[in-house]
Amino acid sequence: MAGPPQSSNSENIESNIDAGLATLRAQFPARFNAAESEPSLREENAKLLGKKGELTAILKQLGAVAPEARKAIGERVNALKTEVEAAFQKRLATIEAAKRDAELNARPFDLTLPGRLAAPIGHAHPISIVRDEIVDIFARLGFQVHDGPEIELEDYNFTKLGFPPDHPATDMQDSFWTTSGHLLRTHTSNIQVRAMLSQKPPFAFIAPGAVYRRDDEDATHLPMFHQIEGFMVNERVTFAELRGVLTEFAERLYGRDTTIRFRPSYFPFVEPGAEVDVRCVFCKGGGCSICKQTGWIEILGAGMIHPAVFEHCGIDPEKYTGFAFGMGVERIAMLRYDIPDLRMLVENDPRFLVQF
Amino acid sequence: MKASFNWLRALVPTLPNDPREVAGRLARGGIEVETMRTFGDGAEKCIIARVTALRAHPARTGLRLVTVDLGAVGAIEVVCGAANVPDPGGLVVFAPLGTTLPAKGMTIGRREIGGIVSEGMLCSEAELGVSNESDGIIVLPAELAAPGARFIDAVPSAHDTIFELGVTPNRPDALGHIGLARDIAALSSIDWTPPPLKSALLAHGKQATSEVTVRIEDAEGCPHYAATIVEAVTIEPSPLWLQHRLTSLGIRPISNVVDMTNLMLMLYGHPLHAFDFDRVSDATIVVRRAREGERLTTLDGVERTLSTDDLVICDTKAPIALAGVMGGAASEVTSLTKRVLIECAYFDPRVIRRAARRHAIHSEGSHRFERGIDSGDTMRVLTDVTAGVVELTRGHAVPGATLVVAKEIRQPSVRLRNARISQLLGFDIPAAEVATSLRRLGFVKLSGDAESSTFVVPTFRPDVSREVDLIEEAVRLHGFDAIPRAMPTVLAIQGPPGRETFLRRVRDAAVTFGLYEALTYSFVSPEQLEAVGAPAPTVILKNPMNDQRSVMRTSLLPGLFESLSRARRHGERDVRLFSVGTLFGEAPAGQLPLETSHFSALLAGDRPSYLQHAEPVDAWDAKGLAIGMLAKLTKRSADVVTYTADKRPLYLHPRAAGEVRVDGVAVGRIGLLHPDVAAKFDVGNDTVVVELNLQTIADLPKKAERIAHLPKFPASTRDLALVLSDDIPAGDVLANIVASAGDLGESVSIFDRFVGKGIPADHASVAFRVVYRASNRTLTDAEIDARHAAVVAAAQSRFGAQLRS
Repeated sequence: MAGPPQSSNSENIESNIDAGLATLRAQFPARFNAAESEPSLREENAKLLGKKGELTAILKQLGAVAPEARKAIGERVNALKTEVEAAFQKRLATIEAAKRDAELNARPFDLTLPGRLAAPIGHAHPISIVRDEIVDIFARLGFQVHDGPEIELEDYNFTKLGFPPDHPATDMQDSFWTTSGHLLRTHTSNIQVRAMLSQKPPFAFIAPGAVYRRDDEDATHLPMFHQIEGFMVNERVTFAELRGVLTEFAERLYGRDTTIRFRPSYFPFVEPGAEVDVRCVFCKGGGCSICKQTGWIEILGAGMIHPAVFEHCGIDPEKYTGFAFGMGVERIAMLRYDIPDLRMLVENDPRFLVQF
Repeated sequence: MKASFNWLRALVPTLPNDPREVAGRLARGGIEVETMRTFGDGAEKCIIARVTALRAHPARTGLRLVTVDLGAVGAIEVVCGAANVPDPGGLVVFAPLGTTLPAKGMTIGRREIGGIVSEGMLCSEAELGVSNESDGIIVLPAELAAPGARFIDAVPSAHDTIFELGVTPNRPDALGHIGLARDIAALSSIDWTPPPLKSALLAHGKQATSEVTVRIEDAEGCPHYAATIVEAVTIEPSPLWLQHRLTSLGIRPISNVVDMTNLMLMLYGHPLHAFDFDRVSDATIVVRRAREGERLTTLDGVERTLSTDDLVICDTKAPIALAGVMGGAASEVTSLTKRVLIECAYFDPRVIRRAARRHAIHSEGSHRFERGIDSGDTMRVLTDVTAGVVELTRGHAVPGATLVVAKEIRQPSVRLRNARISQLLGFDIPAAEVATSLRRLGFVKLSGDAESSTFVVPTFRPDVSREVDLIEEAVRLHGFDAIPRAMPTVLAIQGPPGRETFLRRVRDAAVTFGLYEALTYSFVSPEQLEAVGAPAPTVILKNPMNDQRSVMRTSLLPGLFESLSRARRHGERDVRLFSVGTLFGEAPAGQLPLETSHFSALLAGDRPSYLQHAEPVDAWDAKGLAIGMLAKLTKRSADVVTYTADKRPLYLHPRAAGEVRVDGVAVGRIGLLHPDVAAKFDVGNDTVVVELNLQTIADLPKKAERIAHLPKFPASTRDLALVLSDDIPAGDVLANIVASAGDLGESVSIFDRFVGKGIPADHASVAFRVVYRASNRTLTDAEIDARHAAVVAAAQSRFGAQLRS
């Protein structure tokens, strides 16, 4: 600035400033409104209020204003700044809202394109699914999950269970023998023997596992399949309790409207022995091709543990009684999923497995 | 076992005339009726017709026009091609229009043959399904019935309902109609006794003894042997009723003598055998064990070499029958036979079973003997069969019978405590009901008081020997439907989770990683195991299904490769399979083979990708799967260490094979499949595998399940990219960076690898990200920069690497 200002000069300058401010005040709303985007708005704002902006240019004259007048001018400048700032924010909000509306109203994303998976979807085998479900039901009823060897002594697979050597009952379970004289277990009942030899009652076990019978592979037979054996031994375990437990099981597996029936049958290690049918889950008993028009589907073998089995395992049959039951996982899976041929279970065709 | 409804009703006349109802009762009593079918299905519509005239067909040679009188319906002329049409006056069987004959799958319709219309048909036995084959149409005795009568009224044996029964091995009594009748009567609350014999029970001893000598040299194998002789027999086909009965029960009629023994077999469940007595040398029967290498040609024409475990019926020269299993051809009853010897014996079940299995014969006889026939009915059955043979052959019996008892079979008596019933069953059956049930089943009460009763077990129930067997009989007749439901007190004793729980976690983890679970057989071929370099099998099957399934597996891979190969043949290229199963190892001395649980997985084809070009899986997919599985299962981070050439499993590719380790313990391996192995299993080269020993993993020391507390101070990240020669494993560089970052380094990761423009050949730019953090303060930039500069310098000098900007 060139020298101390003259007072009359100061007044001129003051009015110049006021005129500049008035011009700005008159212009800024239209200039802001003319800005269509945030960058152009900010640019306009900077032109008005920035360090090199129009307001700054106006205020360069302030040095020439009498000091006593400066405060009042400053207040007027601040008032204008506040107005501009408010208008800027308002316009900014309008632009953002418009942008947001435009984004919201643009063409929708093509959600018919496939979803992106964090990992591909895996599939448990139907045998595992059914087996786990059955085991879980019994586990919740208080049965402990137990397992045992797949290659077994004849004594534990047959003899201790009351299959006498050279008895036709062993025809029901044609066995694979190893060259060292063991056999592939024909049922998971060997676990019953092992449990009774190693533990004292009371106990309740559920024993799932692979079993082997020398049957030709066809639609309804596999030489290796899966069984779930359950058994409970205590003082005064009764046949009625067996029925209670199996009814509860069937209701949990097939629904509360399920009924079961017992038919007398024979397994060497139980007496009395029964086959257990469940009311056909497909026709509800009306008769269909799956239940061969009988209204019933056989799913279990069961009975009271034979006293001879207790004796063979060192348990006093006068003091203890118990029940045992066994079921084939493949059969239950076949019925549930309408699998027409058991061989599908070992072919592992991905087109089959992907359905579980 | 086939059973005739008509026969059962003849034995128990008060049974309802409703086969379905009777089948239901049998099933409720434990004798499963597997199928029910009609014998002579269609025969009920056929009527008796009398031939009144015969003439040749005007246009067709070999055909004749037969006029038959159908009684009230009148006469009709039909075309017939049979050669045996009787002369006028003969009786034939006429199937009217609309008759359906399921045996031949046809329905009689109006037919025009050579210009002659024929409305109906003269039937053969085969067409009616009452015989397996027929030479011509049925011709009946002229006086049998009046024309117009229903065929099945004139010949009742031509129509029946046949049950196919599933008789469990403990019930040999149910393998004869008498036993079935007893059971169905008891199940129907009918008091029943077997029908009386038509002739008096044979006295044994007397003349028969002088005609034949019977010597039992093996009392264990043959406790009883009885025989009668019938002389002056006429061997001829059996009467129609007998042929029908046997055919309906699945037994082929042969001749009157053989058919009668078979009828008695089906009635009593007691097998019999008839010898041509003139072909029994020296009229002597010896029951003994065979001599090693002795030969016998059985009725089926097979010459069999016998062993000392076989029980044989011999004459003074040689074996003439394999006892209880099959007769010998040399002593077979033929049309020339004049005298027959009828054998009725009791053979030891185990001896018969071993012989039948050894010679692979399963006959009606062996089926029953090996289950245990009635040891008390020998003389009754022999009396009945002898009378029957005499009647059919018009012969005469030598008075008396020879009976040799080498060993008494003692009948057990069993005590039943009344209280035990409710103890075992959970509900009570009144003692009076129990006594009635057991009486109806043939048990004789010996003694009893308020607490218990003792019963003698009948000779036809070898399955009953204990108190619990009587309880089963009682509840069987009481009805299993009446068993109430009760819930036991829950036994809360639970041990530690076993193998099953762990295996389920493994399966769940594998499914989480996007694998499909495969179920594979435990038996494989030795060649398959060798092809994957698995340990040689030590558990060998003595009687495998076939060579491909002859040993117990020592690797899960052959099963998975079979599945992959199969999937590929069906056009499935991208396959991700896993299997959890048992491997079988050598048995420690005196013990069972070692069984260990393993996990194997294979990835083949392309890795799943999202809307972009898919890339084939590689060894790092396998590594990632292994590390992911182990992180899930053990909460630890696993390492993969490249195999040295001498340690590499040979089924893996020499360039991509690694051992999986957790805390230094080898738990498995990963890698790319060797192309030679891929070729052997026909699976393609784009296959990677992961194998984990679940036993080792389950046995890893348990890690404390504590969280790491979250850091309180901020971290800073620095990246460096190094141009590394391909000879330098990235992992080595990473380890070097970890070491030089020291106490300030929190983690180091590789986040980029670039090959291409600006990078020399056989080199790659590998980018590392180092996270710096201290647990007790905020690090200053100066501190971090200094440490990072040291890290860079160390890596550069150690590996001769250029820093890439």
